[in-house]
Order: sequence, then C-alpha cells, then structure tokens
Amino acid sequence: MAGNSIANETVNQSRNREPFSLRRFLTNKYFLYCVSICLFLSLWDYVAREKIFRDSLARPLEVWDQLVLLTQIKFAGTHLWGHIWASLQRVLIGFVLASIVAIPLGLFMALNRYVNAIVKPLFDLFKPMPPIAWVSIAILWFGIGETSKVFIIIIGTFVPCLLNAYNGVRLVDPDLYDVIRVLGGSRRDEIIHVCFPASFPAIFAGLQISLSSAWTCVLAAELMNSRDGMGFLIKRGMDTHQPTLVLGGMILIAAAAYGTSLIVSLAERRLCPWQRTIDNL
Amino acid sequence: MPTDSQTRAKIVVNNLTKRFGDLTVLDGINFTIKEGELLAIVGPTGCGKTTFLNCISKLMPATEGDILIDGEEANPKKHNISYVFQEPTCLPWRTVRENVAYGMEIKGVPREERIERADRIMELVGLKSCADLYPNQVSASMMQRIAVSRAFAVNPDLLLMDEPYGQLDVKLRFYLEDELVKIWQKLNATVLFVTHNVEEAVYIAERVLILSNKPTHIKAEIPINLPRPRDTISPEFVELRKQVTELIRWW
Repeated sequence: MAGNSIANETVNQSRNREPFSLRRFLTNKYFLYCVSICLFLSLWDYVAREKIFRDSLARPLEVWDQLVLLTQIKFAGTHLWGHIWASLQRVLIGFVLASIVAIPLGLFMALNRYVNAIVKPLFDLFKPMPPIAWVSIAILWFGIGETSKVFIIIIGTFVPCLLNAYNGVRLVDPDLYDVIRVLGGSRRDEIIHVCFPASFPAIFAGLQISLSSAWTCVLAAELMNSRDGMGFLIKRGMDTHQPTLVLGGMILIAAAAYGTSLIVSLAERRLCPWQRTIDNL
Repeated sequence: MPTDSQTRAKIVVNNLTKRFGDLTVLDGINFTIKEGELLAIVGPTGCGKTTFLNCISKLMPATEGDILIDGEEANPKKHNISYVFQEPTCLPWRTVRENVAYGMEIKGVPREERIERADRIMELVGLKSCADLYPNQVSASMMQRIAVSRAFAVNPDLLLMDEPYGQLDVKLRFYLEDELVKIWQKLNATVLFVTHNVEEAVYIAERVLILSNKPTHIKAEIPINLPRPRDTISPEFVELRKQVTELIRWW
C-alpha cells in the first residue's frame, strides 16, 4: 500500500557493492591498518639495528624470541603464564572488590540526597589524589605482600566506578520520569524501570576506565616491590639491563589489559543489547 | 460517533489557576470533556499550553481549582492518565513491544492481557514489523507512534497529547493524524489534544477550545461538526480554520 509506505519504514540491509579495483584495495581500511603497523615495526627495527639507543633497544624479533623463551623456561621460579596470572589475579581481586562497593554506593548517592551529602565531600577530597600516591603508605600499612598491591588497585578503581554510576543516574532524561509519574508509578517503579537500566551504559564506561586504572596501579605496585608479575619482569629487565625483557613485559601487560577490556565490552554487549545500532540508519 | 445526548462529562475542569509567584499563567480555566470526545486546544505561542497540560496531568500542582475524572479528583495512581509528550519518550532499553506494554506494566495489567493488548495496538498502528527492534533502530516518527501506542494501551480515562506531531513534515503529519483518529474511534478514548497548529486542530477534533494570551483563559469554543474523513480544502473546513485563526491571531 502506498499510504502505508510513508511511515512504515523497513530496515535497510542492503549494501553498496562495487567491483574490485586496485584503488579500492589500496584505500581499504584494513589494508591501511596493516601498512601502518608494518611501517611502525620497520622503523622500530631500523632504530634498534642502527643502535640509536646504543644497546638499550631490542629488535622486534628478539623481543618475540624472549617471550617464547619465557614460556619454556622458568624465570625467577615461575613460567610466563605464572607471571601473567600473578598480575591478572591482583587486578581482578582489586577490581571486583572496588566495583561491588563503588557501584552501589554511587547509585545510592544519586538516589538519596542524604547519602550524597555524607559521601560527596569525602569523595571530592580524595578524588584528585593520584592512586600511585598511595603506594608508599600502603607498603607502610600492609607490608610488601599482596594486600598492599590489591589496596592500591582498589584505590585506583574506586573513583571512576563510583563517579560513573553516580552520573549515570543523574543524567537520565527527565522526561522519562514524567512518563512514569503520569502513569502513576511509585518511587520504586522509577528506580527499577528508569534509574537502573538508564545507568547501565555509564556504569560500563566506568568499569572500562577502572580497568585501565587497575593495570596502571598493578604495574606501579609491582615495580616498587614484587617477586612475580609482569611489572616484576620489567623491573628485573631494567636492573639486569635486558631490553628484551623490559619490552616483552610492556607488550604483555598491554595485551593483558586489552584482553580484560575486551571481556568487559562483551559483557556490556550482552547486558545492554539495546545500545546496538543498525548501520546506515 | 458519540453525540451530545448519549454521553456524559468524563472530565470536568473547574477554575484551574496556576501562579508562579506574581506571574499568573493559567487564570480560572473551566471546561468539560465528554466521554469519548476528541477535544483540541489551540492557543498563541507562549500561552502556557505545557503548564496547562502539566497541571491537568498532575505533574505540577495547580494553585487553585480542581480536575475531576468521573466526578473524582484526578489521581495518576487511581486513574489511567496518559500523556504523549512533544518529544518522543521511549525507554531505549526496551524493544518496541516492551515500550508499548510499559504503561500497562506500571498499571499492573496481567501479563497475558498486556501481550494481547500490545499486539492489537501495534497491529493498528503498523508497528508489528518492528516489534522486536530497539528505539534507536527506528526513525523519529516511529518513536512518536510508540509513545502514542503506549498511551492508548492503558485504556486511558484521559489521554493528553502535547503537540505530538509538531516536528514532522506535513505529509507524515496528516498520515499520523488519520491514524490517531482511527485509533481514537476504535478504542473510544477521551483525548485532549494540544497544538499550535490550527489546521491540525480543525482536522482531528470534535470541538476546539481557543486559549488567550497570558494570563490564560478560554477565549472561545468552536464545535467542528464536519464529516470524516475531513477534506482540508472544502469551503466549510476553510471557513472554520479561518474562524479559529482569527481568534488566536496576535499579529
């Protein structure tokens, strides 16, 4: 029906298909990604070969070989996987503990002005303090064991988690409250049907920031004092002048941080399917 | 279509007054809406139309006066009041179907009936094909239809509409207005439609109330007894439109 088609839109799923051409291939996004990465690796290799940083920069393949070697032999009593797991474990414990306290607290602050009035001034006081500033005091309090490392991670992840949960609720479109009020919804309905779901994306954004902060904190803690973990590999590489070990540790920690952030993204896609948009609409 | 003799006053508004400090926005507004009537309210820009609707819907307390539904003071918890806002207000985390059922959920309609009523209304407005999409996957006009469907789905005692089609182009607007009239006739709802568009008011309503400038009161009432579907270029239509336009002109 012609009349119906005015407003009954259908989802456009067709895509423009153009024939293959050299120009199209050369301007393809993924091709250019490869070019970019290859150029970077060649530049790195060139700088290392020319010894611009004397012997303190290893070639990419040497770093790779070092990492492969670490999977085969024990370094400081632990395999490569053991070192990765040591750091990952600290990050996960700190991150989980911080988020299960910070997210509900942030939600409470946004929903109740008395809770807000009590917590906000303290929070504002501690917020600008960089988490790394806590390293020394943490060691004085908890010694050089696991507790002090986890403590620093909690400090570093708490702030973004809380802040995002708080803002997630506060930035809800006020019209959505009007809708539910006209319908005769109670305060409880408002919280369940509007506040919580609306704050989800902001909470996940907070978790992502927290996670990257957690990796920064674990690295700082391990550089200070540790006997395992990826930060330890970097520190040991520096102390014994092994650039392959330093760079290998850096790459590993980046990969681990990327991996965990990917997991949070997947969880978000699972829990907030409504954020997905359809291309070209 | 219901006629005067068969129907009683569903909504009675007595002396509705709203002041913000010294500023009187609404000044003693009195009117009634008959059961199953589609009443349009037009007024010059800035005459407090939104304040008016917010008072009627009880989002905002009135300074004086009462709003009675079936002889009782209007109460969103007790009566089914629906409100279609100027901006589409869908919950982005619910699919189209869940959005249509949202009002019924808050009203505590049992699940079976919710699904059945949502399906019936989506069928009526042609939302069936995108029932499982999320609001960010449909266009703006579709979002407004979701809000309209949600509003009708609770079988409202009173349905308030605040220039719901203000943002749309003329062609689509007429299409959605026809659709609105169709649903209204089918479900026999009592509708209060606020707009600044005179043509729209004369096109859909059974009766048009004209508001004055601030402090706002009702300046005139014009019944529209034209047969439907209405022809916007018939002499009668044009005459009524002129009459209403003359009453709200401020230039």
